[in-house]
Amino acid sequence: MTKTGIRKEMTKLIADFSTIGMTVSFSIFIGVGFGYYLDHKLFEGKTSPWFTLIFLGFGVAAAFLNLYRMATRKDIRDE
Amino acid sequence: MEHPILFISVILQALGLPVPHAAPQPGHFGDLTQLLSPHMTYTWLVMIFLILMPKITMGKIEMIPGKGQNFWEAIISGMEGFMADNMGKEGARMMFPMLATFALFILVGNMIGLMPGFMSPTSNLNITLGCTLIVFFTTHILGFKFHGVKYYKHFLGPVWWLIPLIAPIEIISHFARILSLSIRLFGNIMAKETLLGILFMLAGAYFAPLPILCLGVFVSIVQALVFVLLSILYFSASMEHAH
Repeated sequence: MTKTGIRKEMTKLIADFSTIGMTVSFSIFIGVGFGYYLDHKLFEGKTSPWFTLIFLGFGVAAAFLNLYRMATRKDIRDE
Repeated sequence: MEHPILFISVILQALGLPVPHAAPQPGHFGDLTQLLSPHMTYTWLVMIFLILMPKITMGKIEMIPGKGQNFWEAIISGMEGFMADNMGKEGARMMFPMLATFALFILVGNMIGLMPGFMSPTSNLNITLGCTLIVFFTTHILGFKFHGVKYYKHFLGPVWWLIPLIAPIEIISHFARILSLSIRLFGNIMAKETLLGILFMLAGAYFAPLPILCLGVFVSIVQALVFVLLSILYFSASMEHAH
């Protein structure tokens, strides 16, 4: 690969991988927030805290799924 | 902290228009004076700049380009090459107007805040959230356009008994994209603006903000690049086949 090709690949990878931290935290927050909304607004606290906990689990799972996909992606060429 | 002097707001106030200094209270969202708040007026300034500047500098398009036309051709072909590398020629040709608009708007919007008397419109969460929502909806519209109704299979994972687990996870991760795109741009630019403001106030006479100004140029370019690159990646992910 040429030098500029490597540079382009590098910028793409840096942009892509710099999102990992934010994606993890935001996935968890969205999960918790949606579960809290279901518990306290839609069901008026009758189901508290179950939906919050379940969607916290979903959020954490989403975060880890993103990490897993980043780790197993095919388009990283090692040269 | 002292209120920064923004020249458009000063001019508007001198004309006797009500310029708001704070976000609207909850329940007062029909407040039309918010159209004159600084981030709106500076968004319009950037838009006017981007519309007028090519017209002024380029002149007539000629076979043998002059100085202005050369400059804009370099910018446009550079961006198109960058997009074609990442999403293929077809996709690049289709999405080029939108992505180039985002690139130029965010770049100029970030940079304009480096001058005293101006502010970055992108240092307000509402502007970045607007850009991000456009990207989000375009992603899914593209998905439906390229795959028809079968686009929903992108959200369902490989095997049917994993659907109740995968579907909420996929939806959560799609919404996390909105937050991470908008808050990254907003956070970086707001940090730059606030830091510059504080340093100007504390030791502006001793050139204390100079290193941060240099860093600000770097951050502006990188954040515009990252925003465009991530939207390209999202678009191409929604155009390819389900995994």
